[in-house]
Amino acid sequence: MKVKPVLFSITIMLAVFAVATQASAWSLEEAAKPYAGTELEVVFLLRPGYEAAEKMIPEFEKKTGIKINIIKHPYENSLSEQVRDFVANGDLDIALIDLVWIGNFAENEWIVPVDKFTKNPDLADPELDLDDFFPLVLNAFGAWNGVVYGLPFDNYSGLMFYNKCMLKEAGFDRPPETWAELKDVYGPKLTKDGKYAFALQSKRNETQSCDSFARVLWPFGGSFLDQNFKSNLLSDGSQTGLKFRQDLMQYMPPGIVSYDHAETINALAQGDVAIITEWSAFYATLTNPETSKIVDCIEVSAEPKGPAGRKPALGGFSLAVASQADEKEQAAAWLFIQWVTSKANAKTYLELGGVPARQSVYKLPGVAEKYGYVNALVESWQEGVPEFRPRFAEWPQMTEIVQEWGTKIMLKEVTTEQGAKEIGSRVEALLKDAGYYDGKKPLAQ
Amino acid sequence: MLKIRHPRLTCLAFIGPAVISLLTIGIGPLAFAVYTSLHRYQLTNLRRTPFLGLENYQTVLSDYVFWEAMGRTMKLLIIVLPIQIIIGIGIALLLHKPGMSVLRTLTRLSLVIPMATTYAVVGLLGQVTFNIKYGVVNQLIGFLGFAPVNWIGDPNNAFIAICFWDIWQWTPFCSLVLLAGLTMVPVEVEEAARLETRNWWTVLRYVQFPFLIPGLTAILILRTADTLKLFDMVFTMTRGGPGSATELISLMIQRVGFRGFDQGLASAQAIILLALTIILSQLYIRFFYREV
Repeated sequence: MKVKPVLFSITIMLAVFAVATQASAWSLEEAAKPYAGTELEVVFLLRPGYEAAEKMIPEFEKKTGIKINIIKHPYENSLSEQVRDFVANGDLDIALIDLVWIGNFAENEWIVPVDKFTKNPDLADPELDLDDFFPLVLNAFGAWNGVVYGLPFDNYSGLMFYNKCMLKEAGFDRPPETWAELKDVYGPKLTKDGKYAFALQSKRNETQSCDSFARVLWPFGGSFLDQNFKSNLLSDGSQTGLKFRQDLMQYMPPGIVSYDHAETINALAQGDVAIITEWSAFYATLTNPETSKIVDCIEVSAEPKGPAGRKPALGGFSLAVASQADEKEQAAAWLFIQWVTSKANAKTYLELGGVPARQSVYKLPGVAEKYGYVNALVESWQEGVPEFRPRFAEWPQMTEIVQEWGTKIMLKEVTTEQGAKEIGSRVEALLKDAGYYDGKKPLAQ
Repeated sequence: MLKIRHPRLTCLAFIGPAVISLLTIGIGPLAFAVYTSLHRYQLTNLRRTPFLGLENYQTVLSDYVFWEAMGRTMKLLIIVLPIQIIIGIGIALLLHKPGMSVLRTLTRLSLVIPMATTYAVVGLLGQVTFNIKYGVVNQLIGFLGFAPVNWIGDPNNAFIAICFWDIWQWTPFCSLVLLAGLTMVPVEVEEAARLETRNWWTVLRYVQFPFLIPGLTAILILRTADTLKLFDMVFTMTRGGPGSATELISLMIQRVGFRGFDQGLASAQAIILLALTIILSQLYIRFFYREV
């Protein structure tokens, strides 16, 4: 008998066995032991997904001894709060990243790529399974320039919520399939007696840029920028979309330019408006008898299609480890992020009011039946546009320009062409200054 | 003549804390603002902060959006200040009248309530009060038979709403300052004037008004400075919208500096605003202030 091949085979078997036992031996409690007593600071928003996570946190703290300190902010303050903290080398250990901030945070090196932790067997959960995240969501919310920094946490897609009772009264047995149908067929029949067919939240903040302006660009074949990073707002597609929005305003409540999410959700929930396109996260509000008069009438579907297809609004937040945290805090932060976004906890998060980005949870029996928005959400996450809004570092300044002129267009202070020209020239000046046109920065969004 | 000498150290000990506070809270930040206004100071890109000289100031002064915001702010000032002074004088004259002391005391106390309310709360109250569907204002005008008015969502009405709210909040301040001025009028002089004439305007113009001038000058300076930097109430009520209809200069500075993160440009805007405030204050003192 030849000894060497036998010894080699035994060695291989032992190695495989060692890896298998190592993998099955990983537990959060063991991994967290060196970090017990660590306190982590993180900014949370005042939204259902965060409330869901807050309810889960005591279990994490009990298992690990790691304390999570939450600083709550409305969305409008959360970026400036975090930027100030990172610039001043403050206390935040976890970064909450809107998908449009990822370029900014990554280029400033305020966040740590996840592979620092996924390559560490002491910290990486073998069940992490990044492939279980919807690829669009992981790529758009958590990755920049091919590097993954954050795991999707508070995840949205734009969905169409409608009052089926109002539609039925007006003679419709289904929601509109296309934007054109919404305006030309549903609009006139649903707008009467103080009620309106549609409301499009358009307040002069990120709502204007994302919910209103971008929403009418992509489905009509438009976009903010062309492939050379020059303004594309004067293109046929963009102008068609912006003019469409102007026409659609006749079927919206007066003062729509002052409507933010709360006003729009409320308008539907109180039965004043028949159809809205809003974030999936608001399903809980619309199906809660305490906050909605139309619980028995609410239905959900994917956003309408435009000539360029279905391009629903895309938005959401990932959690990433802040680079200003020390090594111990970074490790503890990673354990929390990995746990709260895990496959194992996805169902709990969903049941508590959150919207996980794990594909597996939506395949569980009964989930689609219990949560009426699931089918529309899954469909939307197959078709979304990662660059629905540019995610580069200059977005915070660019969005201010879009917000200002987007609302001026809606108020008819300028035409769509004038507004587009104004936005275009200002954005191009901004991008030129940043170095996109002379090759200093790659054309990544 | 007896000269009293104080040790240098004692003098420094008394004025030192105040000077240090002034330097830390006032002069230091101002100096840093001047520094950032001369540089490209983008919070999201602090690796590059080149010296720009006066380029930020040039950008600000040639930006019509800045002048539009400044125009709106001056328009607010020109509308609300005279109304506050006129109503303030009226209230002060009523409170100065003898008699009904309990009612006068209660009224004086209740005048403090609007001034004591935090700006941000006033703005939130405004959001609720002027709501098109649920607001008190539309309920009241509905009782009079008028259709609901779109206050917050209409550019012109939103501006009227913030004017109204500023007048509501600060007219009591004007009335209390002017009331203090009226109490400075010598009683015998006022009595003699009232014996000469029953005309309240004659008494106000020739007897009481000279004593109101110092108070009026203080009101002009303080209310001008307050209005030029008005932020919280408008931000919570309209956020500068709809569109730019209520974007005052302070909101624009906040937007540029803390949402666009361009601290250099925002500092230049703030320095220009400071210069304007100082010029207006000096003009008020030069043209209005008289010793009694």
